Amino acid sequence: MSSPFSINGGACVAMVGKDCVAIACDLRLGLQSLTVSNNFPKIFPYGDVYLGLTGLATDVTTVADLFRYKVNMYRLREERQISPQTMANLVSTSLYEKRFGPYFVSPVIAGINHTTGKPFICGFDSIGCIDFAKDFIVSGTASDQLFGTCEGLWEPDMEPEDLFETISQALLNAVDRDALSGWGAYVYVIEKDKVTKRLLKGRQD
Amino acid sequence: MARRYDSRTTIFSPEGRLYQVEYALEAISHAGTAIGILASDGIVLAAERKVTSKLLEQDTSAEKLYTLNDNMICAVAGMTADANILINYARQAAQRYLLTYNEDIPCEQLVRRLCDLKQGYTQHGGLRPFGVSFIYAGYDPQRQFQLYQSNPSGNYGGWKATSVGANNASAQSLLKQDYKEECNLREACGLAVKVLSKTMDSTKLSSEKIEFATVGKTKDGKIYHHLWGADEITVLLEEHGLAKKEDTEAG
Amino acid sequence: MPRILLNLIVHHLHLSSASKMENLLGLTGKDFTIVAASKAAMRGATILKASDDKTRSLNKNTLMAFSGEAGDTVHFAEFVQANIQLYSMRNDTELGPPAVASFVRGELARSLRSKKPYTVNLLLGGYDPITKKPHLFWLDYLASVAPLPYAAHGYAQYYCLSILDKHHHPDIELEQGLKILRMCTDELQRRLPIDFKGMLVKVIDKDGVREIDWDSSKAVKSA
Repeated sequence: MSSPFSINGGACVAMVGKDCVAIACDLRLGLQSLTVSNNFPKIFPYGDVYLGLTGLATDVTTVADLFRYKVNMYRLREERQISPQTMANLVSTSLYEKRFGPYFVSPVIAGINHTTGKPFICGFDSIGCIDFAKDFIVSGTASDQLFGTCEGLWEPDMEPEDLFETISQALLNAVDRDALSGWGAYVYVIEKDKVTKRLLKGRQD
Repeated sequence: MARRYDSRTTIFSPEGRLYQVEYALEAISHAGTAIGILASDGIVLAAERKVTSKLLEQDTSAEKLYTLNDNMICAVAGMTADANILINYARQAAQRYLLTYNEDIPCEQLVRRLCDLKQGYTQHGGLRPFGVSFIYAGYDPQRQFQLYQSNPSGNYGGWKATSVGANNASAQSLLKQDYKEECNLREACGLAVKVLSKTMDSTKLSSEKIEFATVGKTKDGKIYHHLWGADEITVLLEEHGLAKKEDTEAG
Repeated sequence: MPRILLNLIVHHLHLSSASKMENLLGLTGKDFTIVAASKAAMRGATILKASDDKTRSLNKNTLMAFSGEAGDTVHFAEFVQANIQLYSMRNDTELGPPAVASFVRGELARSLRSKKPYTVNLLLGGYDPITKKPHLFWLDYLASVAPLPYAAHGYAQYYCLSILDKHHHPDIELEQGLKILRMCTDELQRRLPIDFKGMLVKVIDKDGVREIDWDSSKAVKSA
């Protein structure tokens, strides 16, 4: 009930398709049962890599800003974009630094590695253990529901349009069965040299 | 004890001068020229890169122009190793500001942060000043496009057009002559190559010998900064009839 | 699990209904932001003061309203105020409302993981003179931030947000904004069992921060 992970609510999901990946989040920010905002995005772009963060809202902001600092410094030093795999290790080590006083977030990463051209997704627990996956990653207060919808809808090698439809339906139907998330969604479909960001209105109740 | 007042940075000479700082300035006046020109719709930075040997790898990253932040770039004249320390410091300061205030650091504040550090090395004992001058080009919503210059003493100032490094006196007078208020970025780029062609030793320029960067606004109002590629520089040089002919000097 | 943080969350969510009696309201319009705060300073069931000002101006164009644990509130507000004013003096420029909000959030987030965190809820209203846009930020003691067109803290959240949902538009004039605020304060007067001694109302626009006369003496008819 008063777990830091479920005070503010929120959901995030990432999926792999054929030469593309998608990541989506809801837009709710709440205080237990009270909805405070219906415009609180949980996906943050870092060049070619997308990071989704659910959990305690204060830590979502803190962690997102912290990685903006770290990734900007990486980009300036290396004079290139960070790859999804490197980002995954950066997230993992950064979270583990706070092993005994963690940020209450469950991150999700999605992106395409520009040297190999291969899609990449992964998820983490709040202390940085990486969960590599070939199909999908879910996180947030609707994660149980998301497991169900993703398990039912996902299939291998989907084209971008198909992937968009699948991830959108998976998210929207999952958050409808969760009181703490919903109120609209953002969906990113990431292809090799194109990223499409769509706003889904969703149920406003 | 012939040199009593120049072995430490912290000691004034009887005439009230800080010799170490002046020596640092002297070191810079041998470095490749760098110039900056403020236009109504952007800023151009240009720098001479000294080609010391043809064995030197040329296609590696810029050595005189650096990105400090999303809204700011700089040109370096002087010791590159010293500059690297300062640039890293500036990048961290800019990112720290972004972390605290969620917006880009105003240009003058970033310049001042660097200059406060530089100043420290003219006052604390046992240390040598940074042997670098910078030209900064940046943008912030409050004061739009801005051009600054700083030197090892930690002094800085805002300019419409300025230069540092070798032959900076002649570059400065050329700029004074030809600078037009309200010129646009294209005209400023033209002026930049013209001045460089006159202050550099070689008569003909080429993309290996100079570096170019611009800060400007895109059509939809976004601020961009761009370090030019070799082909872009060649096009600009050809436009102004300053490009080196491949066959004339090749033999 | 860090016990301190967990205890704090549990403590605040379940026990401190006293601070919910402090009402903060904020709403933005076309070129202004209104911030209102209840005037009663309370301790338990006692009203210590009926003309309390739960706001501080941070700079020329930002105003912060606060509620929460007594002592923490004013201390934190004045700490932030001093820092924002120091920035103005050092740099000869004023921070815009979004930058102020980000700074305040940072300080609150740092405090959250300290030995004795501030339990302060905030509304931050402002007007950006460069972009000429009004701003309103909602922050709670956990340092969650949300930029919003209208916001509330305390019981006002339960009573007023639905009124604002129905009547608020982003491009309303000041007069309209004050009318909507009146609906909100009337509802609070009507429904809350304890007199919160009316609201102190302030407006932030291109001319800075100013107080608005707000008559709370008229009795509101109960349903």
